[in-house]
Amino acid sequence: MRNFILFIRRFSNLLLFLLLEVICIVLIGRTNTMQGNDIMSSANYTLASMYEQRDDMAYYFALRRMNDSLMNENLRLRQQLTAYRQVDTLTDSTGKVVTYNKDSQRVVKYADYVYHSAKVINNTVGAVNNFITINRGEADGVKKDMAVVSASGAVGRIIHTSKHYASAISILSKKQQVSARLKDGTVGHVIWKGQRPDELTMRDVPEQIKVKKGDSVFTTEFSFFPPDVLIGVIYKIETVKSKNLKILHLRTATNFRRIQYVYVVENKMAEERLQLEAQNK
Amino acid sequence: MSIYLKNIIRFVFILLIQVLILNKITLQWWSQPTGFPVFIPYIYPLFILLLPFETPVAAMLLIGFVCGLSVDAFMNTAGMHAFATILIAYFRINVLNALLPKNISDYSGQTPSVTNMGWIPFVIYVSFLIVMHHATFFTIELWSLSNIGYLLLKILASSATAVLFVLAYVLLFTNQRGSERQRIV
Repeated sequence: MRNFILFIRRFSNLLLFLLLEVICIVLIGRTNTMQGNDIMSSANYTLASMYEQRDDMAYYFALRRMNDSLMNENLRLRQQLTAYRQVDTLTDSTGKVVTYNKDSQRVVKYADYVYHSAKVINNTVGAVNNFITINRGEADGVKKDMAVVSASGAVGRIIHTSKHYASAISILSKKQQVSARLKDGTVGHVIWKGQRPDELTMRDVPEQIKVKKGDSVFTTEFSFFPPDVLIGVIYKIETVKSKNLKILHLRTATNFRRIQYVYVVENKMAEERLQLEAQNK
Repeated sequence: MSIYLKNIIRFVFILLIQVLILNKITLQWWSQPTGFPVFIPYIYPLFILLLPFETPVAAMLLIGFVCGLSVDAFMNTAGMHAFATILIAYFRINVLNALLPKNISDYSGQTPSVTNMGWIPFVIYVSFLIVMHHATFFTIELWSLSNIGYLLLKILASSATAVLFVLAYVLLFTNQRGSERQRIV
């Protein structure tokens, strides 16, 4: 016993060192399983409100850019709206809006998605796993695993929430794979290689699939994202001859360096779907 | 000013610089297409480096743990910064022993600085521990050696920038005249 106490006294520093390192490893291990520990996140009230203050300071310098992005989004939405309001001007003298309610070929679709707007108060692009902190939380209906999209494309997924803040892991992270679809319906995965915040990679695309530079890549229903959100645009195509596969390099649709406003997408059907899928396991 | 208060203020100040300014500026060398990965220099280990000479190792480990965890909370990387910070807190005394001409107990009541260590030993001290910290942190963060060139580049660029920032900090916040007087006394 005496020897044991002597041993501890002699190596107390080393033991403390090892103990603390083990604690750290446990913490790292817990966050890497994506469950995360909620205290240690920037959704935490104190940290997030600090970020919010910093963001308020930088806010005015970005107003012009924000105006531009809002104008562009308005334009895009207006164009989409005209698609629903197409009127056959040759035959329709009244110019009334044509509704398709009585059309027998109408596709049944539920309004699954509810959008909540949120302001980005902190974001990173330099780490291996990047996070975004937003100023909406549980009080505004934001929950874990909701999708986050920006005006121009996919952004990420909520992982921590507090009362008034939430943090999301962006698609720029190694932990995060996003199910993606090419224009012709080919489905695959988009990953981030962890190097540059404006490049994504879509791997294992069969060689016979015809793609061109400038083609868009969208999200699918298979992931937590709503379908048909733009992920990125192809700018380089690499062919691996030995495996008959193509590697597509994408530019992200969202500019992650300058992201300011995002929408948190609530999927009304998510719970039901998850329950159903859990039964299959 | 008491040494405790001084260090607490320094801790908050360095943490704020790190989190509110440096984390926002992601540096990038060269542009496309053979572009270099974005990186962030971490200067908060400077707080550990500037603790007084006589701080007991156990206390230093605990301070390092707290310091690392607070950065972790901001960066959403639970444990990674803490791991690297504890490591340099543990090895600091060995590096100091190797670099100082006199025994460490001769420096009672002083903190490591350019004036009592000299420029070259101080720069070696700072850069050795910062490279150690960055190497540990980026290795844990990337957690694969498949892309080792990229990892090494990131460590090198990031720690070189961090050392530059640290030296700028030291030049700005060292009271040259005050420390000279201290040396004469």
